Amino acid sequence: MNRYPNPSASSGQALATKTTTWRGWGTLCLILAALALPAAARTRPHYGGTLRVEIEGDPWQQARRLVFDGLTSIDADGNIRPALTMNWKSENDNHRWQFSLRTGVHFHDSTPLTSASVVASLGADCATNCPWTAVHAVGSSVVFTSDSPMPNLPALLAGDGYLIALTESSGGTQGGGAPSNAKGTGPFQFTAVNNGALILEANDACWQGHPFVDKIEIVGHKSIRDQWLDLSVGRADLVEVPAEQLRQAREQHLTVAVSPSVELLALAVADGGVLGDPHLRAAIALAVDRSALSNVIFQKQGEITASLLPSALTGYSFLFSADRDVNKAHELRGGLTPPPLTLSTEVGATMQLAAQRIALNLREAGFNVQVAPTGKPQHTDLVLLRLTLESNQPQAALESLLRGVGVANPVLESTPAGLFRVEHEFLETHTLIPLLYLPRAYAVGGRVRDLRLSPDGAPQLADVSLEDAP
Amino acid sequence: MKLVWLFAVVMSALTGLLAQTSNAATSPWEQPAASLADGIAGILGPGQAHLTIRNQSTISTGDIPAIRRRLEQDLKAHGVLASGAESANAIRITLSENTRERLWVAEVIEGSETRVTMVHVEPGSQQQAQASGGLTLRKQTVFTTKDAVLAALETSNGLVAVEPEQIVIYNYTAEGWREVKRVRIGQTRPLARDPRGVIFPSGNGDGFEASLAGTACSGVYQLTGEWSVRCRESDDPWTIVQPSVTQTGSANQGTATQMDISVTPFKAFYNAARNYFTGVFSPSLGEEMPPFYSAAQIVRSASNAPLLIGGIDGKVQIWNGPTLKPVSGTRDWGSDFAALTSGCGAGTQIVASGSGEAPTDSIRAYELPALEAIPASAPLAMDGTVTALWTAPDGKSVFAVVRSAADQYEVDRVTASCNE
Repeated sequence: MNRYPNPSASSGQALATKTTTWRGWGTLCLILAALALPAAARTRPHYGGTLRVEIEGDPWQQARRLVFDGLTSIDADGNIRPALTMNWKSENDNHRWQFSLRTGVHFHDSTPLTSASVVASLGADCATNCPWTAVHAVGSSVVFTSDSPMPNLPALLAGDGYLIALTESSGGTQGGGAPSNAKGTGPFQFTAVNNGALILEANDACWQGHPFVDKIEIVGHKSIRDQWLDLSVGRADLVEVPAEQLRQAREQHLTVAVSPSVELLALAVADGGVLGDPHLRAAIALAVDRSALSNVIFQKQGEITASLLPSALTGYSFLFSADRDVNKAHELRGGLTPPPLTLSTEVGATMQLAAQRIALNLREAGFNVQVAPTGKPQHTDLVLLRLTLESNQPQAALESLLRGVGVANPVLESTPAGLFRVEHEFLETHTLIPLLYLPRAYAVGGRVRDLRLSPDGAPQLADVSLEDAP
Repeated sequence: MKLVWLFAVVMSALTGLLAQTSNAATSPWEQPAASLADGIAGILGPGQAHLTIRNQSTISTGDIPAIRRRLEQDLKAHGVLASGAESANAIRITLSENTRERLWVAEVIEGSETRVTMVHVEPGSQQQAQASGGLTLRKQTVFTTKDAVLAALETSNGLVAVEPEQIVIYNYTAEGWREVKRVRIGQTRPLARDPRGVIFPSGNGDGFEASLAGTACSGVYQLTGEWSVRCRESDDPWTIVQPSVTQTGSANQGTATQMDISVTPFKAFYNAARNYFTGVFSPSLGEEMPPFYSAAQIVRSASNAPLLIGGIDGKVQIWNGPTLKPVSGTRDWGSDFAALTSGCGAGTQIVASGSGEAPTDSIRAYELPALEAIPASAPLAMDGTVTALWTAPDGKSVFAVVRSAADQYEVDRVTASCNE
């Protein structure tokens, strides 16, 4: 249980945890646990120790949030909190925003954080794909201006795309994809890549305070099986649990932290060429069997959806029908037999299986769909993708999702009815077909305390402490 | 059937609708039902429609008939009559919710056309039942805030809350505590990740002295009716036991006799880069103390008031000069505890937070007649995690800061009553 208040960083999502011991290790673990029990409990976190993390993907992607901070953050309740900026104000009907920087913040190399360094970082981050037209340094403030209103800018700036780095140091990369000189203001600083492990050390001068652990080692590109094995023998402290393996993790009595629904599995449909006909796109939307995807591929761990935002954020997602209707799909196709379509997806056995299942569904509705082999980027008509819900603030989350699929218009609505209208208008184009919302989950070893997940489901490793720390 | 979605945006921010409503004469569903009926009537106009209601929220099924009656009544007032399933029009109402609020959605179906209207409703709050036991602890919420609270103090001139980066002063009004002043502390060194602080009344009772990591603040209520607050960098020791407090205690079980006891002022140095006291006291206790999270004084008599220390290794020890002795029976204790002069039993109990095994925290009172902690009350469930616990200046209550799962901070006053 997380006992300490974090003054300004985004706070975590509620966890669903289950604490037991490994099957087969039961008796031994009970004996060891009894021996290890302190004379009395303590609940405040201890400082020190090394946290060992293993993941399937690129370790640098896991590390970025620990090395860099955003200008703002979002707490578990969806409230926007100060981070590198202390306060902000909008003018001119949200066309201009001024953010005042927190004083006394330094990058890892002791360079002071200035408005100029923030502007340089933001310019390098998103270039032309930013929600703003221009960003300027004005004294100790950063000023954003835009031709369109930016009502969600403070929330958007909490997202992964707008983390602040010292740009002049974004040089070459070492193994693991980490920039060798990555300098941020975050609780950890990149130090080395050692035997394939990305090494981060605590930033003593972090404006949010020294993190509880002294060091984090992140080993990337490890299969889930190997991660779980390492966890079982004490070689890893925190490993991944894919949604489709959550049930298995629980059966194996792993201690699992599960986020709310934060990953949207969706089918992107090209709106040109053969699929330029909106009736064909609507037919595809009706042909997909979400229940089969959920039950078979994702082992009932997903939340079936036809809306962009999950039900927990809006309460209205039931208004979008997720039912399959093959007859209606045939009807909408109007007897046309479209030329063969190609469906691609990201690397990964589960996503490949899901793509195969969708192709089968579409064939049943009269489409000829082939799944493209992985690792060969090519133009495809359909793409099965996972979109991460970066915010738990509905308005910003919707704008962020829409930006992720190339819709750059700001979401000006803030009421549930207004957001429903925006979603409905976009989904009527059938260029993106929401399928399932999936949680993110991690399993932890017995010495890990106070693991919480951020609104996007990422583990908040700076707030983790170790039971056996000195 | 081809559905054409049109939208009738009827939004009513019905803030505070359910909260703090204990008046049985006013139904909490009255206002949302009226607003939703307005929206429906605006779409449908006078006529008949088949009304269905489904509940996808945490509203009790027992409340649904009342909500239905209310809606039918309000619709009727607009000329919309609920009819049988044979009606050409249908109103499908879903009582839904998200993580922040309730959402009532009406789908108004006329032929092949469906239009939607919705209202959102603030979630209600419920009073928690009190725990009972040999000594009964009760909690009363003093105030809640979205910001982290490290410590708070009620003075005759207002309530002072210590936050990680600010001192916030509230005045009591008919609506509760209202913020009147907010002063930035302006720390120059990095904040602590597990920030802590203490606050005590200043000598004349008109002001306060607060300590945070590397910083000391003081506040004075001036004759002009305004607060003057000043903060400075400081590594001075923190006051950990309130000095010169007159307490009501009882030397014998069952007799609540009045006796004046001057509690020894204890000050200890805090490790500003961590979350614990170093173990060094000022003035020195004459013995090396371990680093500790919490300390409290147990007043047994005027000449017997040992100090209880909760070490960072999880061990609870008692110091009554000249040596430290381990206390048993503290396995269920968390890192925080405070003394409570209840007048029950031995007079002073220790109120300790839970060991953190449960999803939500609890606090419990213990007697320490010797070197064993004996439960003196049932655990009192708190609505989240106890992040701070301290004794009130008069010693007769303790204050707890509780952080909810939604990161709301609640300052609770916990008192005890003696059971027969």
